[in-house]
Amino acid sequence: MNECVHCGFCLEACPTYVVTRSEVHSPRGRIMAMRLGIESQGLETCVFCRRCEEACPSGVPYGNLISSHRKADAAAAGMHRLLESPKALAMALRLTMRGSGPTSLRLKQFVKEVYDPLEYRDQRPEIFLFPGCLTSVVMRPTVERALRYLRRWYRVEVVNGCCGLPHQGEGERGRAEEMASKWSLSLKGKEVVVLSSNCAAHMKERWKDVNVYDFSEFVEKKGLDVPNVKIRVTLHEPCHAKVVGISGYTRSLLRRMKAEIVEMDDPSFECGAGGSYFLFQEDLADSIFQVKAKKVERTGVELVISTNPSCTMSLWRRFKVLHVADLLS
Amino acid sequence: MSLLQELRSVVGEQWVITTEERRLYSLDGFTVAGRDPEAVVLPENEEEAVKVVKTLLMRGEPFVVRGTGTSLSGASIPINGEVVVSMSRLNRVLSLEGMEITVGPGIANIMVTKNAPPDVFYAPDPSSYSVSSIGGNVSHDSGGIHVVKYGPTFNHVVGLRVMLTNGEVIDVGGRSVMDDAGIFVGAEGTLGVVLRARLRLTPRPATTLTLMGTFDSLRDAGQAVINTYQRGVVPAAMEMMDRNSIEAVERSKFKTGYPRAEAIILVELDGYGAQVEEEIRRTEAAFNEAGGRVITARSQEEADKLWRGRKGAFPAMGAVSPAYLTLDNNILITKLPEVLEQISKISERYSVKVANVFHAGDGNLHPLVPYDPQDPENLRRALHAAREIAKVAVESGGVPSGEHGIGVEKIGFMGFYYSEEDLEAMRRVKKVFDRSRILNKCKMLRLEGCEPVGQLRTLWEGD
Repeated sequence: MNECVHCGFCLEACPTYVVTRSEVHSPRGRIMAMRLGIESQGLETCVFCRRCEEACPSGVPYGNLISSHRKADAAAAGMHRLLESPKALAMALRLTMRGSGPTSLRLKQFVKEVYDPLEYRDQRPEIFLFPGCLTSVVMRPTVERALRYLRRWYRVEVVNGCCGLPHQGEGERGRAEEMASKWSLSLKGKEVVVLSSNCAAHMKERWKDVNVYDFSEFVEKKGLDVPNVKIRVTLHEPCHAKVVGISGYTRSLLRRMKAEIVEMDDPSFECGAGGSYFLFQEDLADSIFQVKAKKVERTGVELVISTNPSCTMSLWRRFKVLHVADLLS
Repeated sequence: MSLLQELRSVVGEQWVITTEERRLYSLDGFTVAGRDPEAVVLPENEEEAVKVVKTLLMRGEPFVVRGTGTSLSGASIPINGEVVVSMSRLNRVLSLEGMEITVGPGIANIMVTKNAPPDVFYAPDPSSYSVSSIGGNVSHDSGGIHVVKYGPTFNHVVGLRVMLTNGEVIDVGGRSVMDDAGIFVGAEGTLGVVLRARLRLTPRPATTLTLMGTFDSLRDAGQAVINTYQRGVVPAAMEMMDRNSIEAVERSKFKTGYPRAEAIILVELDGYGAQVEEEIRRTEAAFNEAGGRVITARSQEEADKLWRGRKGAFPAMGAVSPAYLTLDNNILITKLPEVLEQISKISERYSVKVANVFHAGDGNLHPLVPYDPQDPENLRRALHAAREIAKVAVESGGVPSGEHGIGVEKIGFMGFYYSEEDLEAMRRVKKVFDRSRILNKCKMLRLEGCEPVGQLRTLWEGD
């Protein structure tokens, strides 16, 4: 916290500052609130996108500060338990979406269809495909396409579960660490290919001794054959993937596929979902989405490529959205 | 109706902050001295801003106008516990006609160019340009590395809408003689409230090229700058780093692979093909004549790499210390070696490790004075060092501030440069615009009732 010199370079990188323009909802304000030990709404409204860390010239580890400060309430903790078990998550989603309460209605805007997670295992698997909890139940067709593609070269096992990122961001850091240790043990030394870029970012930072690849990163690093596609796309960069520096692989993969990329302004600007933020901070999430939507609309392109599930769910409320794996089959 | 009730009725309940959260507005980019504001008000648009300011004026309630709060001189700190009026929500582009753009004062500098047609740009680019507001830029006459060719904010303000302390809203500027907008540029919010700015856009140059000169002494480097101008070249940017700052950068995450030299100069030349080619030739000759070795970046990638280290110079030094004072004395380029020598003596005397970055093109020196906010004795030494550096700079023929403003930081340095008569003239101007001293009191000028608190005494009085 002491590294913060109060320069304010983080402000315009922060989605909640951009939409409120208030110090209270800015990284600098939040750091100061923590420093002064005062109660501030801002500590609740952080989306945990960590873009401020990129903007910070002094290297303040903001993500760590806010994640140790936050304490999850019962609703958040309950949600985290569901995410840990994708099968239970699918059931819970189906059940909730049958209702007509505010959460049900909200979920129906974001979730198009709920699937049971794909279970698959080749004999003596060489690589492990990790869809990520949400991807496994909301974007199963993408998982199937990725699996079909990877099986052209590898024996694959699909591993369903949660990486621990929601826990890390929303006040259950201890639990996030336990999960990281558990995964690090069970997947030790293995090559793990992840279909959710922000999960990949979290796993790279927190899991030990596991060779974690974002899907595009794997395809690029292994130099796997890709088809040529005749499409015009614009690219959304998931926030954490940008922070840890892996969002460039999707761009280079698309170039190798001869896709025409029309860049949007500030591609890693928050999508308006923020994990489960869209459920708990509805108004702010929607204001952020409006800003994001304008950036997309200004490109004049209809198809957005997003490699992270919550971003995709937010964006497909208005745009056509595909994962890069959807283009490979 | 109480003041707060009235403000709430204008902007809505949630945009008047009176809880502990108001303390988040006690500081800006200058963290030596802060004070909690009585309240913070965030109007949404010009109409609300006018009503808010009128309310405060009618009640005689002192206030401070704030943009993004990036001032390095403490110009937007409510040093007397004033109400803070934040203009950050007035961030819209109001009109765009030809080469002129009209914006609200809360818009970030970078957004002006982003909202302009692709063949033009807004030239002034202080290093905080990705966040700092146009209102603040206007009020500080902010510069940046391109000031050498394009000039500071002053040269790009076509007109302003300003609210005066009598409650009148006036549109100023746009005249060729006796231009009345100029007085508000650089006034640090002490004369009126900037409500909108009409800014001049500049055609984008067709070509931009970077070269780097390496020198065995600061004197040679200084000579190279003079030679460059003598050969008729006006670079878009010309930046110098001394050995300390080169080393700081090379040890940091901004490592660039700069040569271990006494000084390097980075030059950016822009314009049209043949002209830039000619300027490169002349700059090379100018540098060689001063004993410098020159390399030219052959691609945009190489140029970006060369600038990366310079852009990381502040943070690289910031990383060695939890806080620092960023001075901005302007000096004569010919006096650079002497001034740096004196600064290094001052550093030793007070045991603070000062590093220097220099906008060589316009003579703006940034001595960075590190301190530990947890250690009052260390801070006191840093403040003494800062005060002496300012004195040395002025005695060598320079001025106390080149671009960050006076704020609360340099009030005590004004007397090094200005005579008592000069200061009296400034106080009179202040009186004409703000008789009851309601606007940003105790900034720029020490008025009656402005007693320095705590650590500010060292900066103001040398105690």
